[in-house]
Amino acid sequence: MKETAPTVYIVDDDHGVRSSLRVLMKSVNLPASPFASAQEFLAAYHAVQPGCLVLDIRMPGMSGLELQEELNRRGVVLPVIFITGHADVPMAVEAMRQGAFDFVQKPFRDQDLIDRVQKALARDQNTRQALKEHSRIRARLASLTPREREVLDLLVTGKANKVVAQDLSLSQRTVEIHRAHVMEKMAVQSVAQLVRMIMDLEHRGTPPTG
Amino acid sequence: MEAAVDAVILIDHGGRVTAFNRSAERLFGYSSQELLGRNVSILMPAPHRSEHNGYLERYARTGVAHIIGVGREVEGLRQDGTRFPAFLSVGQVPGSDPPRFVGFVRDVTTERQALATIQAARDRAEAHQNEAQQARHLQERLMHVSRMATMGEMAAGIAHELNQPLSAIATYARACERLLESADPDLTETRSSLHEIGEEALRAGDIIRHLRQLVGGQASEHMVTDLNELIEDISVLAQADARVHATQLELDLAEGLPRVNADRVQLQQVLLNLVRNALEALQELPAAGRKVTICTTRAADDLVEMSVSDNGPGLSHAIADRLFTPFVTTKVAGTGLGLAISRTIVHAHDGKIAHRARSPSGACFFVHIPAVKDEDA
Repeated sequence: MKETAPTVYIVDDDHGVRSSLRVLMKSVNLPASPFASAQEFLAAYHAVQPGCLVLDIRMPGMSGLELQEELNRRGVVLPVIFITGHADVPMAVEAMRQGAFDFVQKPFRDQDLIDRVQKALARDQNTRQALKEHSRIRARLASLTPREREVLDLLVTGKANKVVAQDLSLSQRTVEIHRAHVMEKMAVQSVAQLVRMIMDLEHRGTPPTG
Repeated sequence: MEAAVDAVILIDHGGRVTAFNRSAERLFGYSSQELLGRNVSILMPAPHRSEHNGYLERYARTGVAHIIGVGREVEGLRQDGTRFPAFLSVGQVPGSDPPRFVGFVRDVTTERQALATIQAARDRAEAHQNEAQQARHLQERLMHVSRMATMGEMAAGIAHELNQPLSAIATYARACERLLESADPDLTETRSSLHEIGEEALRAGDIIRHLRQLVGGQASEHMVTDLNELIEDISVLAQADARVHATQLELDLAEGLPRVNADRVQLQQVLLNLVRNALEALQELPAAGRKVTICTTRAADDLVEMSVSDNGPGLSHAIADRLFTPFVTTKVAGTGLGLAISRTIVHAHDGKIAHRARSPSGACFFVHIPAVKDEDA
């Protein structure tokens, strides 16, 4: 699946609402892709495609909330902006609890929606960059030898070469060579950089596949 | 004079009887012998009896006739004291001076009785008609109130349904503004958006039109109707309700159905009642699986069927027996009138309403209505 330009995916069973949203996105030069149902969207969308999802919360068949659940289950990171009616507040609250990016109430001000869409697109870009960065870091980590990995694990806890050498029953000279390899393979200039990288990776957890 | 059918009585200027024919004898029970020379007032009940001489004097004095040449309905008094209604015409004997008068008396008892009988029958018929009209009026009021209640229950769905086109219109309009702000505006997109704005406004108007039809308190009006058309017409509101209940609503309408003689609004009310029941029956199911189908088919040569099916849990035996009983409801906020009124409406269409279980689960309510004869659609 090829990566496309960031796209605003619109899922709404109402033709008028769906198609007017597409034109609104076009009017601010955002590519938009409308779908009449959750199923149609699921069939067409692949997780690598960046953008955001503007989703009607109330639809026959698979509802907006159910689609969100399904996307979560599939590990799709696309930020979701829900469009709700005024009677749907409890559903909107549930959607936010399930990790929705934001919601707008119908009828909405165009600028409000556009602002939220822009923010959602920025968030998506950040998330994807971070994920890419993580997978790069993971690849680098994978390239370390078991001994180098042991050295790295001790270094990031703040231990000096001498202590690492004692812990691993190695000569300080050997530790220094391993350390140089680690810094080179991980493409960092300082131990501080290395620490931030590893902490960040652990903090973000496991990225989704797909 | 003796051959005359009417009673004929001649009197002189003093009111004395000078002739009394056979019919008069039969009518009053006197023989002419008995009456000749006596005052005619003996044949009249009070107060005319004592007034009659006065009438004669006044005529002699003033020459102004009150009864002469006009005739009027009076009462006659028989010898045996009984009274009878009579039509009396009086004339002055031409050239008589002092004047003599001739009176023709016709017994109108039979006519009067016939009239009274007719009047009584008419009164009774009117009373029945009034009662029937009142009952019909009450029934129509009840149907109207029930429709209003249904509309009330559907308010959320209707509000949502109106919100959709309004929301689309607002969005299209803003998008058009933005498109036109660009240095090189996309006029094709702008034009098609403007067209859509018009369409969406019509759609909103359509919803309001349907609402007004249903809430209008119009009297029952039966006309030859295409059932499918009637269903498609109401499906806008039914769809609105279905959407709020997160349920798929499908129409499965048979082609070439014969037409029926129907009150459109009333049958639409039946349909809405059935759809609302189906929607509520489905609330226990997950949203993705809920489905209601409105179906028409030809049940027999001269019978059209309209049905509403759901894939819900179906009807329990306990409730199935009392479905059409007024005020029996399984709903928290139900009036228990929906099906009872639906049945009244269907019966007024010479039709029947019933239900059957669906396989593997669910209920189907169907209405049979006779097709219009001599019209092969």
